[in-house]
Amino acid sequence: MLSRTAHSLYQLGFLIERTENIARILDVNSRMSVEHEVFSELDVWSPILEITDNMDNFEEHYGEICEASVVRLLLADSDNPYSVRACLLNAREIARSVRELISEEIWLHINLFFHEMEREFSGGELRRWQHFSEKVHMFANAFHGMIYNTMVRGDAWQFMRLGFGLERARMIPRILQIKYHMLLPSPEAVGSPLDIHQWQALLRSVSGYEAYRRLYQARIEPAKVVNLLLLNPGFPRSLHFGIREVSLALREIGMYNEDQYRLYQHTERFLDDLRGGAASEDIIAMGLNDYLSTVNQRCKTLALMINKTFFDTITVTLTDQQSGSLTIQIPQQQQIQLYTEQQAG
Amino acid sequence: MFDISDAAPFDEAFGESGAVRDEYVAAYNYFSQKGVSGIEHMQQSADLSLLNQGVTFTVYSDARGTEKIFPYDLMPRLITATEWARIEAGIIQRITALNLFLEDIYHDQNILRSGLIPASQILGSNLYCREMSGLDPAGGIHIHIAGVDLIRNQDGEFMVLEDNLRCPSGVSYVVENRMVSSRIMPELLGSYRVRPVSQYPQMLFEALASFSGENKPVIALLTPGVYNSAYFEHAFLASQMGAQLVQGQDLLVNNDILYMKSTRGIQRIDVLYLRLDTEFIDPLVFRPDSLLGVPGLMHAYRAGNVTLANAPGNGVADDKSLYAYTPDIIRYYLGEDPILPIVPTYLGSRPADLAYMLDNLDKLVLKPTDASGGYGILVGSHASKQELAEFKAKLKAEPAHYIGQPIQQLSTHPSFLEQDNSKKFCARHIDLRPFAVCSADGTVRVLSGGLTRVALRRGSLVVNSSQGGGSKDTWVLYPDSADTAPGGQHA
Repeated sequence: MLSRTAHSLYQLGFLIERTENIARILDVNSRMSVEHEVFSELDVWSPILEITDNMDNFEEHYGEICEASVVRLLLADSDNPYSVRACLLNAREIARSVRELISEEIWLHINLFFHEMEREFSGGELRRWQHFSEKVHMFANAFHGMIYNTMVRGDAWQFMRLGFGLERARMIPRILQIKYHMLLPSPEAVGSPLDIHQWQALLRSVSGYEAYRRLYQARIEPAKVVNLLLLNPGFPRSLHFGIREVSLALREIGMYNEDQYRLYQHTERFLDDLRGGAASEDIIAMGLNDYLSTVNQRCKTLALMINKTFFDTITVTLTDQQSGSLTIQIPQQQQIQLYTEQQAG
Repeated sequence: MFDISDAAPFDEAFGESGAVRDEYVAAYNYFSQKGVSGIEHMQQSADLSLLNQGVTFTVYSDARGTEKIFPYDLMPRLITATEWARIEAGIIQRITALNLFLEDIYHDQNILRSGLIPASQILGSNLYCREMSGLDPAGGIHIHIAGVDLIRNQDGEFMVLEDNLRCPSGVSYVVENRMVSSRIMPELLGSYRVRPVSQYPQMLFEALASFSGENKPVIALLTPGVYNSAYFEHAFLASQMGAQLVQGQDLLVNNDILYMKSTRGIQRIDVLYLRLDTEFIDPLVFRPDSLLGVPGLMHAYRAGNVTLANAPGNGVADDKSLYAYTPDIIRYYLGEDPILPIVPTYLGSRPADLAYMLDNLDKLVLKPTDASGGYGILVGSHASKQELAEFKAKLKAEPAHYIGQPIQQLSTHPSFLEQDNSKKFCARHIDLRPFAVCSADGTVRVLSGGLTRVALRRGSLVVNSSQGGGSKDTWVLYPDSADTAPGGQHA
């Protein structure tokens, strides 16, 4: 597969995943602030801006933090690379550029949703944004169903999977950090109805509430929630699951040079650290927030390695006049940047 | 519902007396039955289907630019088996002769030695590609893919208006339009015996593959990128052929072999289908500022390690001034009379023609030889006295730069649109672009269909999409279908 198109498919994967995740983050907050009347002292919107690296951007363009403006920034603001609209615009442009590699159904699905979104945002008002956010979930879920059902398990699929897996792994710590940032008014509030309500909201936002109840029954304990979201290999939105997808995709893509081999080894080590009981101990020893920072850092390194290995350079065997051959890595030419890659690492 | 007040002397659907032509009876009845509201509904679903498929071109280049669909006109254009047989034979003859012509002028130049065409006409043309001299493309084939523009004159005779031997585009609309038709008017499509068009990608693939000795050749399509207005077609063809869609940055040449850069290292390409103008394909040989091409591509080509389709340098054969010589070219190489006539053409470079042109400017269309897309054209009958005088001066100053042709009455066809505040079928001018591919053994195959373009503006003769043109699905019928189809099979 061409390096350029491989990169496009990888981007398509992570843009679709990110679109869904932004909608999920908004949902967490919306759900956490349902009882806004009762707990009016909570600022639920600042943490979300911190987590999506949007604080500066927001202060510059919007001023007062309130639901309407945060929602606008994260859903409809196409100048913000971390908005649903920007992600979908880019995803569609990329899908158009790799149309020959994705199935007709997938292209139609993206294009239809794009037109629907543009109609939704053309009105200016975002009164029904929760409704739209649900549609984003459905769009993303249907997307996964379609690629599962219609795409050959070749390189195109594997690079898309690589994008999905990595972005998913990166998002879980961010969602957990929302809870961390949302400091409770007092230490006594730990275990209070508000605390429990927030954990429930967090689980719901990752479609994890049912999974949690099935595994651990109704009582919500923070340590178990953290375990489910980070370490459970079977839960499809856990960190472990995301990294395993990355590892499986890399194995299927194959290892044709040393960098590719090293990248795979690196991913396997990451996966090993998430397996077994060691990680739970790490989390306790380091404290959740520090552990999440480490995870963020590792994901970032992984993203950089993937870029370097597959998209920035290419392996070439050159033949000189004496018919000697030499295998070297040469830089790929500069790509046209369709989006800001700051969050991609 | 059918308004024939704007009909040309030859209308495709209505005969001289205003009666519906035999082959159009079924279509006429079908649309009459649907009524205006039924047809409007069909039009909406057709437009929506094209928008959702992304069969669009962007009006502004940024990602949020307005997207427009290439208007699809509901009523299909019908071509009978008899008419088609002539068109097909005419195109095969023409492409065969032009291939021989190109091979000749880039080698021995016998046709120039014979004096049939003045040497200055060819060698002085800025479209003559010196880099192709003495180069032997596989099979001696220069034209792998061609689109020939045809019009129908006042007597209903098909004539060649123009050859497109470089990057003919539009074939994806032929295939997509048929898909739309089969979705929104399956009954009508089923009541005619229409030849399929969906096999085009396979035709193209097999023609291109024949130029490689490989069992499983690697074929790639070189596109300028996603912002090119024909990008949809590039992606469509690559996808349908199972070819790689590549940009210049994806390719490199090493030791005269063309490779693409893949995630597994570099991979050899056997056939490169160029959808890029010649001047951009290799910065070492042509325009040095081109970032769209591949340095060293022409060396790999000259070494015989890759086939380029179409071959560079074909422009000299579809040049407007060469057009006048095409009947002679067919006679010279094939010893046959042309099956499809051309529009009579006066060349400014011939003194007798020039005198006629200067005297009859108001009866002619004048075109610069080196421009396309309708630029710099003078339609004598529509020009003011002052414009005529100005053009006369230009013609005298640079006679070889212009050709003149009698103003042609293009045939008309009913097209569904709004006129005088009501929606109805009005007569609009049309043309036809059939597509042909050529294999290494010289066999030319014509796709049994074509792009019918419609000038949607009242009275307009310009069918280009940039000038408000639309397209029609074109149904080429099997033999005898005109006798059995209308009313013969039920809807």
